[in-house]
Amino acid sequence: MTSGLRKAHKYIWLLLIIIVPVIIFLSIKDLNVFSSDNNTVSSIEPSKKNHLKTIENDILKIALYKNSIDAILKKTLKHPTSIVYELNNDGSKGNAIGQLTTAGIYKFNINNLPKGIILYDDLKHVEITKLQF
Amino acid sequence: MGLDYQLVLWNKHKKRYDKIIALTMLLYIILFAVVTLIFNSETSIETLVIRAFGSLAIIMLHIILVIGPLARLNTGFLPILYNRRHLGVSMFIAAFIHGGFSIFQFHALGDTNPIYSIFTSNMDYTSLTNFPFQVLGFLALLILFIMASTSHDFFLANLSAKTWKRLHMMVYIAYILIIAHVFLGAFQQETSPFTIGIMIVGFVIVASFHVITAFKESKIDNAKAKSKNNWLKVCGISEIEEDRAKIFTIENERVAIFKYDGKLSAIHNVCKHQGGPLGEGKIIDGCITCPWHGYQYLPANGQSPPPFTEKVATYELKLIDKTVYINPKAFEEGTEVKPCNY
Repeated sequence: MTSGLRKAHKYIWLLLIIIVPVIIFLSIKDLNVFSSDNNTVSSIEPSKKNHLKTIENDILKIALYKNSIDAILKKTLKHPTSIVYELNNDGSKGNAIGQLTTAGIYKFNINNLPKGIILYDDLKHVEITKLQF
Repeated sequence: MGLDYQLVLWNKHKKRYDKIIALTMLLYIILFAVVTLIFNSETSIETLVIRAFGSLAIIMLHIILVIGPLARLNTGFLPILYNRRHLGVSMFIAAFIHGGFSIFQFHALGDTNPIYSIFTSNMDYTSLTNFPFQVLGFLALLILFIMASTSHDFFLANLSAKTWKRLHMMVYIAYILIIAHVFLGAFQQETSPFTIGIMIVGFVIVASFHVITAFKESKIDNAKAKSKNNWLKVCGISEIEEDRAKIFTIENERVAIFKYDGKLSAIHNVCKHQGGPLGEGKIIDGCITCPWHGYQYLPANGQSPPPFTEKVATYELKLIDKTVYINPKAFEEGTEVKPCNY
């Protein structure tokens, strides 16, 4: 190794000795690393407080939270589109919340608590399912 | 040393070394899987693969980083240094499996391009607990890919040793990215003092060896020699072992003074292949042989024996009362200098 390379390695490692501890400190300072508390439970607790109701049918399982809706689409539907709408007081569809595609878990943010949800095919103009909270 | 480029210049040592690497990797993966299934039986296969290969790559990277200084401190580690590139490519394969499975599990099942998804699915760069750590891992994997794919001697010869070395020093950037990837990623979900401890201990060991070696080398570089009519005093002739060299520093650059067959010759200490310390090698079949990868040079002219073309600078020596003196002015690379007889 030339003297230039030796110097470069030396300064790189002196720099790493400063940078790496800073990265480690910043990344663990907000974590409750050395506590005996169960971190997983404590992080889930706030979610439980916001949870209002869970309802389901053959197609959907919906969990209603203060600011969001978690939707589990149990099977992929034979509809070209499946839009999730808020359910109005009169049973009609209100504002669109989101869209479902394949079977899976979906999360939608909401501003107001709806009375329920309608899953609607906008192309065929068919109501797929309706759930009331 | 070979004239034509082959994928790997196999010899029995390399084969043994690669078998040890492959078996150790396999053993680690099996052990990791067994321990995981005992203590956390609900872990999915994908998660198991991601964690097993990710942790394996990190352990291997630490070993790779510590081989250099270990070989400087103890020549017993030179055989590991000789095959370090094989370990590096194996480490990249482990990192690639980790990255590949992660990209597939977290980004490939949607309607967005998986690579685009890595950079856009989480843009919370201001948060430390929710930092998009996968971006850091992806960039590190990219660097490791560049290094692994250019590790062959073909690229070393065609990119020039200087460019190749600079390219491969990017491993330090990859190392920082990987540390940040781990601490801002996995540890945010599973805050275990044990795993954090292992990473910190790994860093402390690697950094300590590098710093100790760096200061030891600086001491040698800064050594001042006594001068006599522009000739620098090196040492008594009895201080140099037969077929070995004494390394001497002239203005921060090192020179290797070899003693062989009743003669003395001096050449620049840095091998043209990967910068190996020629003075720590020995004379084999009349040629100075680099301890790192076996590149050879003739002592009298610093040239690799034909048909090879590598050459290093040579120096003039003289002997006064069994004391060796060197002319600090280097000759052009490959210049023939009459050996000093004793």
